Amino acid sequence: MSEINNTTIPEIATIEEIKDEIVDVKTFYLSFDERKGGKAPQFKSGQFVMCTVFGAGEFAVSLPPSPENDRFHLTVRKVGKVTDALHELFAGDKVGIRGPFGNGFPFDEIKGKNVIYVAGGIGLIPLRSSIMHVMQNKEKFGRILLFLGARTPRELMYQYNLKDWKTAPGFETYITIDNPVPGWDGENGFVHTLLKKVDVPVKDTIAFVCGPPIMFNAVIKELTGLGISEESIVSTLERHMKCGIGKCQHCSIGRTLVCTDGPVYTYRQIKTLGEQI
Amino acid sequence: MYIIKEDQVTNIAQELHKEYQVYGPVLEKETRQTMFVKADDAGEIDLELPIPANPAKHVLFPQFERIMSYTYDRKNKKAEIKPDFDDAPKALFGMRSCDLSGMLCLDRFFLGQEFADEVYRNHRKNMFIVTNTCVEPFKQCFCVCTDSGPSAHEGYDLNLTDLGGEYLVEVGSDKGKKLAEKMSLPKAGDSHKKEKEKRVDRSVSLFDSLAKDNKAWISRVVNRVTTGLIDEKVWEYIGDQCLECGACTFVCPSCSCFNIMDPVTGADSADRMRTWDSCAYEGYSRMAGGHNPRKPVEDRRNKRFFCKLSYSQSKKYLRPGCVGCGRCAWVCPGDIGLPNVVTYIRREIQK
Amino acid sequence: MNYKSGICTFCGTGCGHLLDVRGDSVRGVYPLQGHPVSKGRLCVRGWNIHELLNTNEKIQTPLVRKNGKLVEATYDEAIGVLVDNLAKRKKNAADEVGFLASPRSSNEENFLLMKLARAVFNTNNISLDSDPGHRRSLNVMHRGTGMAGMLGSLEEISKARFILVAGIDITKQNPIIGSEIHKAARAGARLVTLDTRNTQIARLSGSFLQVRPGSYKIAMAYMAKVILEEFLTNADFIKRYTSGYEGFVSAIKTLKDGDVADKTGVDLAALKEVGRELARSDTAMVFFSSGISGFDQETIGYIYNLFLLAGKIGREGCGVNPITGINNLQGSYDMGIAPDLLTGFQQLSDATAREKFNKEWGVKLPAEAGASIHELLMAGKRLKAMVVVEHDESIIMNVNEVRDMDFVAYIGSFRNNFINYAHVVLPIATYVETDGTYTNTERRVQLSKKKLEPSKGTVPGWKLYTMIAEKAGAKWGYASPADVTAEIARLTPSYAGISHRKLEGSYGIKWPCNKENPNGTARFSLDGVPKKISFAPVDSSFRVPRASEEYPILLLIGEAQHYWHQNNLMKKTTIPLREYNATLLLYPQGYVALAPENAQELGVRDRFPVKIVSPYGSMETMVQVTDKVKKNTAYVAYFIHDMVTKFFLEHKDVLKRGEDATIPVRIVKV
Repeated sequence: MSEINNTTIPEIATIEEIKDEIVDVKTFYLSFDERKGGKAPQFKSGQFVMCTVFGAGEFAVSLPPSPENDRFHLTVRKVGKVTDALHELFAGDKVGIRGPFGNGFPFDEIKGKNVIYVAGGIGLIPLRSSIMHVMQNKEKFGRILLFLGARTPRELMYQYNLKDWKTAPGFETYITIDNPVPGWDGENGFVHTLLKKVDVPVKDTIAFVCGPPIMFNAVIKELTGLGISEESIVSTLERHMKCGIGKCQHCSIGRTLVCTDGPVYTYRQIKTLGEQI
Repeated sequence: MYIIKEDQVTNIAQELHKEYQVYGPVLEKETRQTMFVKADDAGEIDLELPIPANPAKHVLFPQFERIMSYTYDRKNKKAEIKPDFDDAPKALFGMRSCDLSGMLCLDRFFLGQEFADEVYRNHRKNMFIVTNTCVEPFKQCFCVCTDSGPSAHEGYDLNLTDLGGEYLVEVGSDKGKKLAEKMSLPKAGDSHKKEKEKRVDRSVSLFDSLAKDNKAWISRVVNRVTTGLIDEKVWEYIGDQCLECGACTFVCPSCSCFNIMDPVTGADSADRMRTWDSCAYEGYSRMAGGHNPRKPVEDRRNKRFFCKLSYSQSKKYLRPGCVGCGRCAWVCPGDIGLPNVVTYIRREIQK
Repeated sequence: MNYKSGICTFCGTGCGHLLDVRGDSVRGVYPLQGHPVSKGRLCVRGWNIHELLNTNEKIQTPLVRKNGKLVEATYDEAIGVLVDNLAKRKKNAADEVGFLASPRSSNEENFLLMKLARAVFNTNNISLDSDPGHRRSLNVMHRGTGMAGMLGSLEEISKARFILVAGIDITKQNPIIGSEIHKAARAGARLVTLDTRNTQIARLSGSFLQVRPGSYKIAMAYMAKVILEEFLTNADFIKRYTSGYEGFVSAIKTLKDGDVADKTGVDLAALKEVGRELARSDTAMVFFSSGISGFDQETIGYIYNLFLLAGKIGREGCGVNPITGINNLQGSYDMGIAPDLLTGFQQLSDATAREKFNKEWGVKLPAEAGASIHELLMAGKRLKAMVVVEHDESIIMNVNEVRDMDFVAYIGSFRNNFINYAHVVLPIATYVETDGTYTNTERRVQLSKKKLEPSKGTVPGWKLYTMIAEKAGAKWGYASPADVTAEIARLTPSYAGISHRKLEGSYGIKWPCNKENPNGTARFSLDGVPKKISFAPVDSSFRVPRASEEYPILLLIGEAQHYWHQNNLMKKTTIPLREYNATLLLYPQGYVALAPENAQELGVRDRFPVKIVSPYGSMETMVQVTDKVKKNTAYVAYFIHDMVTKFFLEHKDVLKRGEDATIPVRIVKV
């Protein structure tokens, strides 16, 4: 929790810079007007904030920056009225931020383990914070593997980070594109097929999986087939959210609320929630 | 414990009116419908009226409410936010015990979880509650099955019971005691207490003819709903009859789902509004981009009854979510108010 | 008491509600338990009506177009421009001037608009903005019984032992009527649904007969034939009360069993049984959609004839019940919003009726019937000036013709696309800001009282029309809507006994209300009917639209289901829009619903783009794969901008068939 109580009333932040990521996806770097030096609130990887676009409304969005030493930013895809309005803004414009909210990834429990990331398309956004965190604390983990799938090379998220990750020591990056396209000489096929091609550590492993429902299910099947237990597969769920603090109930699934009990769940938990992903 | 003459009982409301906005059961004259509303004059409040059509929930959780307003000056890149919380002192006079039970659910839900809800806390912080024992149940009532009546046993400042010609005034808080003393109410004796017990017992016995077998099955159904051992066909049967109007949630004393929207009020200003929402609505769980994890209507119906009847939800409320007021059965166009749902689940159990 | 009683004005059910009025706004709504129709229930629209009343999309001030731009003006100035433009065309008004009225306006407003068009601006070109579907129902009922409205009563649904729901998704369109039907079925009534689509009421029915598009009429005719052949009619009843029986009998004689099975796609034994049950049950009602998605007149004629044949007209618990989708659709026809009608279905061509109006109004009305605005627009650019009131749709169908018009005035409470083409815009108060009466689908005239002062000096509709008339030189001098109702009562036999004073504190009065029926009329009754009721004259053509090898798929046009999605009022709400907009949010460019078998054949999945090709034109849209449609039928959502303004204009004759409209098409992958 931050020192400023922004649970109901947003605090005002300034868009410092906007970066185009892929089609319809932009990253917004923010500073916080009411905090010393514009410093961002503290948060954990896997948490999210509620972002107000003035005159349009509010939406929930995961936090991609590393919790340690990264510029505070949001990466947002245009999917509706509010996110469309955000995409119309320029550097210098104001937005409102509430949060951070949610449980975050369980880093303490996974120290010393191998870490696998599997992301499909923009599923990389909510995993980025965790990837950055693990990279910065490499010595605390075993093997670190990233499997990434996208429809086309142009739809690969965070290309500037990918470049570093590909060459970072102790960090294994595998990328695949759905169908062959000119200029792409890497792997083709859906991301779960990559898992078959690589020697994936199974013992003492935790897997972070994020992506569209079809991809998610295929990857789960592959991972559990390899022998990774359901408790060791972690994902972050998206739901329609309005309040972020466990009151409006829009994000309830089964017995839990994604905003306060999640958004991070193990696959075992997800299975018992009794709803679609 | 004090005693007050029947023709003086609204003096309590008059007294409260000096410090509080007073809400209570008032008759809408043209339509003869009892509504729990803010009284312009405390004399409008009539304790003899039947259970109000609307629970007192709206006092703390209005149907349509502004929680903040803001301006944004695009040219000069400025934004300003003004919170708009309503913390006016409010007295609820003559509230029924089912509605108080519902409010206690809301208290525990809005204030007792990880985060406290600021909007609700402000509504709630200066509140005086006077409950009214139901010495005669109404025809849709089943509070005896949900442990929420006919007489309140916690959460009130004063509790009134009609003893015939006079009301017993029980004190539930220091605030309540102070008021009773300020009004110099005469103390009640043991005989008054016994008379109340007699009247409450009589009221409970009248439920036998109203809250027939289906209602008495609530605890068995709670068990089933919690364990999830109900055949999907039962939920489908219930879901097929849901017209997705949202009424059950709106009239329920313990339902608290809301929507948030930012209607524009000028060229560079907007309000943030909170409005009642309902899990019955398809759009309720639909995400931007169209994906809806809870599409079939039976999933959504299942969700509501899970909220009202499961142990896991009861843990949040420290009591069952259903308070036995029976209003959902009044307003449901599909005829699937909670008592009927209990009947359908019971039928399945008995099979 | 901050709750004030009133009438919900979304649909034709006319439910009672209490509005939470605080200060200058409506902060909530609650159902009214004592209301005889809604009995304490509201639907998703009704429960959120305060969202509409708080919209920031109200028209705030009069506007006049100057140098291409709309600028703020006073009422006086804007009314002046309107009057100048209409008055100068007074001579050729029959050709050049039209009034597009709204089925949302109150009776008083529509009556005065009608008076304005005819008595002040000399034109009979006045009609409603939606398709005249309800008129077809009224024609059949009026010709047969003399009552131009629903023959049954919503209050008596629980008394019907047999209920037929034909081609109406009633739990979505008029949910509270749907609720009443569902509850009757749960209490033991036999409920049968006949529909091309698998609707909620179909799932709640004892029997669901899924007919092929365009074959409702055949299904009705067949049931009538069964009743005849099995001697299930009451010969005494037919003889004593009806005329035209022989004509109907000979019309259905030609129908062949084999044809029926083939054309309707329904199991004949099941259809036969339904016919028998209808005849044998003590009481029976039928509900069908009337208005935007109504049937063609032939089908309505067959429905009416079937129920007359079965003796299910004119008694308690019986009736032929066309259901209006919009709140005051019935009242609009009652007020003479039609090129050929005066109030209460009095014919303009009837010299005696006309003379009564001439005398009351001190004018000489043009005797020749006008044309509907829709027809005039379809016919090209004849109209030069038009007054549009509270257009109920957010899409304008004949945009090109409207754009090219010399003068367009828009009058309403809420913003609408028409404003983009208007030269003058005149705001009027919303229904909570003035008194007015509304007539629901069962002829119930209800008074809605003023609850708020109009915002920012906006004038109510009745007052605005008076101001316009007086600016044009007429002397109207109404002091209140009650005065207007008094005039309606003087001129309209069916409204003769209705006054605001009488309506006040009541839940409405069902017309006819006059000396003989001072408390109104619950339903059409056989008792004391001066003449026999007649069977509707119907033809014996039992053709159905056929697919061919070239165009193998029958495309249904889904007006009913999507009507609310593009509704001008719904667009000003949040939750109702969210709920009724569900499918269109997922498919913003519209969609065509295809059966899984057809999708597989085409090699397309959900949300794939496809092209729909008909003999007249083509359009592109997305696929929705669903088992709700049968193989080789497809369903397309109406009220998508491009479809309405382009594709469908090529198919205007087909669209006249209403709910039964089908187009044979071929669907190709893009």
